Amino acid sequence: MIRVSGLTKRYGDFTAVHGIDFEVNEGEVFGLLGPNGAGKTTTVEILEGLRPRTSGEVSVLGFDPGIQHRILKDRIGVCLQAANFPEKIRVWEAVRLFASFYSRTADGDALLRRLQLWEKRQSFYSHLSGGQKQRLALALALLNDPQLLFLDEPSAGLDPQARLEIHELVLGLRAERRTILLTTHYIEEAERLCDRVAIIDEGRIVALGTPREIQDRVIGASLIEVTAAAPLPEAPSGGWRDCDSFSLSGDRCVLSVRSRVLPATLVDLVKWLDASGVVLRDVRLQRPSLEEAFLELTGKRLRD
Amino acid sequence: MSRALAALIVVDLKLAFRDKVVIFFNYLFPLMFFFAFAEIFGGRDTVGQTVTMVLAIGILGNGLWGAGMRLVQERELHILRRFKVTPVTPLPLLAASLVTGLLVYLPAVGLTLFLAHTIYGMPYPQQWASLLAMTVLGVIAFRAIGLIVAAVVNSVQESTIVIQLLYMPMLLLSGATIPLVLLPEWARVFSRFLPASYLIGAFESILVADRTLAVNLDAAGAMLLTTLLATAVAARIFRWEKGERLDNRAKLWLAAVFAPFLALGTWSLLP
Repeated sequence: MIRVSGLTKRYGDFTAVHGIDFEVNEGEVFGLLGPNGAGKTTTVEILEGLRPRTSGEVSVLGFDPGIQHRILKDRIGVCLQAANFPEKIRVWEAVRLFASFYSRTADGDALLRRLQLWEKRQSFYSHLSGGQKQRLALALALLNDPQLLFLDEPSAGLDPQARLEIHELVLGLRAERRTILLTTHYIEEAERLCDRVAIIDEGRIVALGTPREIQDRVIGASLIEVTAAAPLPEAPSGGWRDCDSFSLSGDRCVLSVRSRVLPATLVDLVKWLDASGVVLRDVRLQRPSLEEAFLELTGKRLRD
Repeated sequence: MSRALAALIVVDLKLAFRDKVVIFFNYLFPLMFFFAFAEIFGGRDTVGQTVTMVLAIGILGNGLWGAGMRLVQERELHILRRFKVTPVTPLPLLAASLVTGLLVYLPAVGLTLFLAHTIYGMPYPQQWASLLAMTVLGVIAFRAIGLIVAAVVNSVQESTIVIQLLYMPMLLLSGATIPLVLLPEWARVFSRFLPASYLIGAFESILVADRTLAVNLDAAGAMLLTTLLATAVAARIFRWEKGERLDNRAKLWLAAVFAPFLALGTWSLLP
């Protein structure tokens, strides 16, 4: 669906994108994850045919976006990070207007129903909430029934409820086997929605893979937290396989164990607990998050 | 393209009639001038000139402020950015602006003629087809000038300055508000280079002297040429986003679209 090789974008002396490579396969949700100013939007806008590239090879649906941008725009769906509509355009008018731009169109009424905007079809754009505006942007991105969608920060600036709604919609699109390239600086969004993620920082891809692969690649250890019903009878020796460190807290009721290889440590720990006759109240497992992976790979936090 | 153009015109028209500013400047503002001028300049005897001036004022506002300002605002508010990701090209957007401006303005012409007839006894124009044709040419020419202003400026503030620089001289020195006979000689010479002067001259010829468009071909031709030139250039240098900067030399296109009127003015001054 998308092939990018050695893509570079310069603005004068400033290089926004440094020769990046990646591919997006049919039917997958691919995330570009990075902080503001990392080069995500520049990359996506080059792929959408909105911005010329300085060098590198790019193919989107078999077209070169730098040359065949008009035919490409007819085939893709785009949900922009910063876009607006006239305040006094009604929802259904925007749908009808944008439908007239494409050579093929989906059923606008059905889209409004699907995106829970049917009741709002007569409303002016200025009367919509942030979530409704974003759903309208998604409806317009789906008007030409695209197999490839670009969603640039689809839930940025939305409240948690509206963000959840957008996530459900994206998951619905994924279930339809639509290919989606999504940019985000929300870790949980990438973890929840994306099949594969490229972590981008200062115009370079610093990691690429499934969220799990990226989490596993970083050194940060998993955490096993065991809460006992009563204080532990004996001090643990900590000789469990691949255990990095452990600590006791909460009046010796909470045992926290750091592990480099979670399954091996877990098995040994459970055996020791059983042999010690410990009655468990709770067990919690925590893998290193993408946020930690990002921090380790780039030395900075995503929201910096 | 035709489907997109038709849809754009329909939406633009709806948006225009939902905008109080559009209603005020197209219908109420010229009417204020109409009644003021009719009383100042002598009612029945000079109502033809009054209608001429009022129509010109309306067209100036509709074109320069209506087309010029709105496009810049839509660029600044990221509205055009959303259009940029679709296959639509600038030409239907610009053409829709021309047609919408005309359709919004035509009722104002009818209203002005009706009031002039019923209140001040002005006979309805004999050369109504020529009046209609000149109105069409005038509105689209000034809309196109507005569009070229929008194409070359970088912000609403810049747009306001450039439009004022065009609007005020044409309002004051073309005969739209002050009859040319009352102006000093230098102003009368200057007025020969202003598009609005040719619009007023043609309206006066059609409304007061019952002449046809055929005797105003120079004005009509210049309006048409300006429309085509300005629309083509505006489409060529069209910017969808405020972040897209234009080379300062591109501002010279603004002067280029006035070339037909500069040529007419120079021609009229030749001995």
